[in-house]
Amino acid sequence: MDFSESDKDLWKQIYNTKDLLYCLNCSTCLSGCPASHGDPPLLVRNLARMVVFGLEDDLLDDDTPWACVSCSRCEEMCPMDVKPFEMILAIRKWQSANDETRVPPSIVEIYKRGYTQSVGTNTKLRKSLGLPELQTITKMPQMLKLYQQMLMKTPVVSENDYMFNEE
Amino acid sequence: MAEKKPIGTVLVAGAGVSGIKAALELAEIGYKVLLTDASPQIGGILAKLDNQFPSDHCGMCRILPMVGREYASQYCMRKGLYHENIEILPFTELTRVEGDVGNYTIELLKKARYIDTDKCNGLGECIKVCPVEVPDEFNHGLTQRKAVYKPVPHSTPQMLLVDMDVCTNCGECVKVCPTNVINLGAEDEAFTRHVHSIILASGVKLYNLEEFEDAKSWAVSQDVISALAFERIISGTGTFDGQIKRPSDGKPAKKIAWVQCMGSRNRRQKRDYCSSICCMFALKEAMLARQKGGDDVEATIFYMDMRTFGKDFYRYYEKAVDAGVKFIRCRVQEVMHNPDKSLSMRYYDSQKEEFFVADYDMVVLSTGQIPHKTHAKLAKLFHLELNCQGLLPTQIYDKVKLVKPGVFLCGSLMGLTDLSEAISSGIAAAGQASTLLSSLDVTIIEEEQIAEPTTKDRQVPLISVVLCKCSEKVEKSSVDFGALEMGLKKFNFVGEVNIIDMVCSDQGKENLLKLLKKSQSNRLIIGACHPFMYRKSLKNLAKKAGFAASLIEIFDLSSIVHKGFFESVKKDQTHEAYSEIISIMENLKLKPALHVETLSMNRTALVVGGGIAGMHASFALAQRGVDVHLVEKSDKLGGYAGNNIHATIDDLEPVSMAKDLMIKVLEHKNIILHKNCEVAATQGSFGAFETRIRDLENQENQYLSHGAAIIATGGLEGKTAEYEYGNSANILTQAQLREGLSTGKIDVSDAQNIVMIQCVGSREKQGRKYCSRICCIGAIANALAIQEKNPDARIFILYRDVMTYGFAEQYYTKARGAGIVFVSYDLDKKPEVELVDGKPVIKFTESVLNSEIELSPDFLILSPGVDPEVSNREVGKAFDLPVNDDGFFIEADSKWRPIEFLRTGFYVAGVAHSPMTLKDAILQAEAAAQKVYAHLSSRKIHRAHVISKVHDAICVRCQRCVDICPYDARSYDKVLDSIMVDAAACQACGMCGVACQNNAARIMGFSDKQIMAVIDAKLSENPMFMVGK
Amino acid sequence: MELCLFLGCNTPAIRPDVERAIRATMPELGVDLAEVEGYVCCPAFGSFPSTDDDSHLASSGWNLSIAEAKGLDIMVQCGSCYSSLRMGLDHLAHDDLKLARVNELLELTGRKLECKTAVRHVSEILYNEVGVEKISRTIKKSLEGLHGVIQYPCHTLFPSEIVGFEESPRQPKALRVLTEALGATVESYSRELQCCGGAGGFSSSSPAEATAFTKTKLDAIIEETKADFIVVSCITCLMYLDNIQKKLNEAENTDKYNIPVFDYNQLLALCMGFDPKQVASICTIPRNLVIDRL
Repeated sequence: MDFSESDKDLWKQIYNTKDLLYCLNCSTCLSGCPASHGDPPLLVRNLARMVVFGLEDDLLDDDTPWACVSCSRCEEMCPMDVKPFEMILAIRKWQSANDETRVPPSIVEIYKRGYTQSVGTNTKLRKSLGLPELQTITKMPQMLKLYQQMLMKTPVVSENDYMFNEE
Repeated sequence: MAEKKPIGTVLVAGAGVSGIKAALELAEIGYKVLLTDASPQIGGILAKLDNQFPSDHCGMCRILPMVGREYASQYCMRKGLYHENIEILPFTELTRVEGDVGNYTIELLKKARYIDTDKCNGLGECIKVCPVEVPDEFNHGLTQRKAVYKPVPHSTPQMLLVDMDVCTNCGECVKVCPTNVINLGAEDEAFTRHVHSIILASGVKLYNLEEFEDAKSWAVSQDVISALAFERIISGTGTFDGQIKRPSDGKPAKKIAWVQCMGSRNRRQKRDYCSSICCMFALKEAMLARQKGGDDVEATIFYMDMRTFGKDFYRYYEKAVDAGVKFIRCRVQEVMHNPDKSLSMRYYDSQKEEFFVADYDMVVLSTGQIPHKTHAKLAKLFHLELNCQGLLPTQIYDKVKLVKPGVFLCGSLMGLTDLSEAISSGIAAAGQASTLLSSLDVTIIEEEQIAEPTTKDRQVPLISVVLCKCSEKVEKSSVDFGALEMGLKKFNFVGEVNIIDMVCSDQGKENLLKLLKKSQSNRLIIGACHPFMYRKSLKNLAKKAGFAASLIEIFDLSSIVHKGFFESVKKDQTHEAYSEIISIMENLKLKPALHVETLSMNRTALVVGGGIAGMHASFALAQRGVDVHLVEKSDKLGGYAGNNIHATIDDLEPVSMAKDLMIKVLEHKNIILHKNCEVAATQGSFGAFETRIRDLENQENQYLSHGAAIIATGGLEGKTAEYEYGNSANILTQAQLREGLSTGKIDVSDAQNIVMIQCVGSREKQGRKYCSRICCIGAIANALAIQEKNPDARIFILYRDVMTYGFAEQYYTKARGAGIVFVSYDLDKKPEVELVDGKPVIKFTESVLNSEIELSPDFLILSPGVDPEVSNREVGKAFDLPVNDDGFFIEADSKWRPIEFLRTGFYVAGVAHSPMTLKDAILQAEAAAQKVYAHLSSRKIHRAHVISKVHDAICVRCQRCVDICPYDARSYDKVLDSIMVDAAACQACGMCGVACQNNAARIMGFSDKQIMAVIDAKLSENPMFMVGK
Repeated sequence: MELCLFLGCNTPAIRPDVERAIRATMPELGVDLAEVEGYVCCPAFGSFPSTDDDSHLASSGWNLSIAEAKGLDIMVQCGSCYSSLRMGLDHLAHDDLKLARVNELLELTGRKLECKTAVRHVSEILYNEVGVEKISRTIKKSLEGLHGVIQYPCHTLFPSEIVGFEESPRQPKALRVLTEALGATVESYSRELQCCGGAGGFSSSSPAEATAFTKTKLDAIIEETKADFIVVSCITCLMYLDNIQKKLNEAENTDKYNIPVFDYNQLLALCMGFDPKQVASICTIPRNLVIDRL
């Protein structure tokens, strides 16, 4: 590890809360984390250290933040109130901002139809269950347009607008 | 006639160890003490513990007075306490305080027990019939108790009570009570008292699994228990008779894990402090588990930092490592139970970079101390605001002084204390109270002066027997007193037999005095209840009637009478009592009259060392009218801290504080300062020492007479040659850095990287085998100071365990929050430093990411710890006081007598004892001064009746007795060529008698002849008489 | 009372029988349901919350503002939607800067957010608002004689100060008490509070490990209890625990993983006498054994 290359203040860019600095590497977050069973394991404690040390390259290359199940158990158990789940999301945000290949394709789906999958198209099934047709935003072009206009003002959409262009 | 001065009276609120110790100290001086406790019993947590670190034994009785021991009870402290000058009020709370320094009116609320404990015989017939069952607090719910119960099963006398919260008011207990003492309609009782000072000692509360939300996830099985519950499991009086079994099914627990920091070191739960005691608690329990459970017991401790910061703590840790206790550095999140009832925990091993799942039979949660809820209540009572740590506000240098003058505190009220600190603080608080009382117009309880009668032991033995019927407690006696009287009267050495009633009452005592005055007998036997409570007053009474104190025997008749109530006891209780009396008479016939000598006390104290601790102790004594010789080796006062440390992290200013103290010391008429002097030799015994000191400038000797002495020789900053120290201007010690930062000679404004290495030469086999306690906090203080000057600097602190115990944890938290990076290293993989172009390059392994780091820091700062004062060994030799391998003085008992030496009359304070913070040193100095004052305040000390003596004519001077004496009471005097016994120090334990092969060591009043006579009497059938059969 | 039903995407798209069960049961228990017209993705944690604050909180704000305009609180069944909306609301309610920025974005669409709407989980509504007594009184059939185990949705437990509603988040009991109210015997097991393993990227990035992780949970249920069914109250838990059992059976060539999984409202609907074909028809592990016993 080479500190001459690392940015001491990287944490301010990624997760600008002092909560992170209070981490005392106790490993509580690791011990009960579902995704720590993965291969490679999600090691929340190590990610916190990498952010504090400012290991930019290592962090950009790290896929494990995306394995998080969002159960927030670490958040509940962390004795230092580091809010590790918030940190995971913050790392993902920073990765997305610095590497467009990290931008999850699901946001394109949401942009296009409001949801990550096609909701409200299973009319027949719904009918058989006694359910009415669902009025989704997909079926309300005016409203969807407004939502898209709003998203266009957000960094991830505006900076990666090519992803959102209608073919 | 001048008005009689009132007796100085002190309220000690809280009867845990620190409160008891404070009460005993004041009682020893002769002040009156009201000792209250909110719970139904006294003793606090310690009543539950069989074993304490480091001896793995109990030793609570060691806090009882050693000198003048006959004034207090002399039996197991966990059972109870008795002292003439202490009024014990359990189940009593302080509800109101009015008045000011030296004059308080207090209101106390005595909660209803529903049982008149004075009259209760403690046999518990009521418990048998009570239909209610609830978990027993004493055994942490491992067992059940009834609504009427004994709060401490082993206390004496038994203090039963009814728990009205669960009582169904069925009245069964009232029906069966043989003494008719249960009143379910009883009410709380409020009363007021006047006291001159108040000591608060509410004690400790432990984080518990039922109360706290974040603990609930651990409650997955009965086999997940708290550390105190484990203590009850291994206790001989505990749930499984001391065998280690798991509560769920009683199967032996072979794999046991301890989980540290339970409830503490938790910023999220607003408990950002270290409980301070749990690491040693867990180590002790793990060791005990292996000792008691056998070598196949696997003990594992899950920890973050092993906080072995106190004296000899690290040695104990090493012992545990050698004994096979496993240590895993991981704070586990949860425990899960398996179908076979075993418990599984998952943890991450940073070095192996792997997760492991381990199964255990039992998981012990090291539940930490939490500030007692009474803090808030007390604050309200005294119209104070709690400080940011939730504690009562104290004066800056004196932890035992509340900001409100005249009120003191001790034990866990000060914060998070361990046992020895609780004891020291109890003594120190008593010291502060006695200082206050000595300035008031109050007096002490004068002892009744009764002249010992002329020797009667040469006369033909004629014994008077007095038996108390105790009719208040016994409606129908199981002992036939008439028959007993007849049986005893037939012996010609029995002068008379008197059956009396209620000897404990004033009327009873008056009757007894009349009877005894008429008696022609020269020896006396009294049979009554609770002899430990009445012994002293009955003896005084008999002395007034002309009996010699040593020719009076008082025995427990009530237990014999009470046993008769059990149907299972088939013995004839009348015969039982008869047989007991016969054996006592056999002994008494042969007893010599022993006379009490008074030792005259030289009211001068010697204090060795003019550092802050030594100066504080000197001034504390001088203030109370004690003359002090203060001997300082160098030419200036102040010691290391008083001359070098300008500011500490907790806003203390040792140098300026020392300056103020210096002026007080120099100006006080009772203090004589001997600068440039060292102690050379001493002779004499407690109360009358003569010490030779040598002036280092002109080599002249001077002889100082003193009654007691305090050793406060202090310490020095450690030295090192490790990590290229001394070879580069960029490698400094923490002290050099601190100095450089404050003078501005060290410029850190351009520094990019600064690395600090902790434990340099400390806590390792080749170096100091102890933690210096102050370096972690010191490093954090320096790191924060650098950070303030240069926020861009990256500061790394390489540590083994961060020793920020207690509320110092908040400095650690603050430092991390400020961006200071902490990296742990292992002893077998220390950082490596080499010089490149005169500048240090450091290589170390980053502990979290497990990767190698190489850095060229602008500064490398070392924490070489604290060394003992070099002259300690010579001082030790001069006074015959022991010094440990590290070079610090060895106290009598690390937990129970932390500031006393075994050699009576010598006390230790400050870094001479071990590395410690300034506040702790001041606390010890205050306590040491109090110990000295307690003895020197009375002009005469009565030694005990029973002590050991030397038959000089048959003594071969082998000195076996000197070696074996556990109280350092025996010594060999070269000049006289004799074995000497320090009469005040001797506790008559009899070890010397066992060791002596010539029978030259004797315990007065315990001759072989007497013992054999008792044994013969006990073994013989005593076919005394045929009564009613 | 009236609440906006926030459906999310999985429920209406993949498991509409759960939607049917909710729509059937709640009004009968006095909870009328309103629609959140034009709602969008909650947003799922893997989407905007992983890209930037603006898109994340603007989407939360979009959804919240629809209910707020109606003056109604939101009720959610999906754990992720619940947690995402609660956390989004928490950020906005406690950070004026973020709220201002979101309102700036919402303004373009003619919306406004004042953070007046609360986000509540369906199990909490049932437990706190409806109450077990009313449920016991209302049901026509009972689960008596059947043993159930609970899968608590992590998202309703942690972090307790933001999403929690249980008296004791470390010892939750709402779903247990609710299930007991239907007459079933609820058993505890060692891995009761363990995550189902289905959410987030874990199951897709480490499929083998994720399956093994959930297997420990199912094994614990099978070994330690006599469970006839698993009760959940989160669409992810429902789908994942249902589907993975089939996978496990295929991988291990066994049929031991056959515990039917129900959303609580499905069981409730069955007990209230609704047609199983409508309220509990979509599943991988057959539910007959339970449904037939009713």
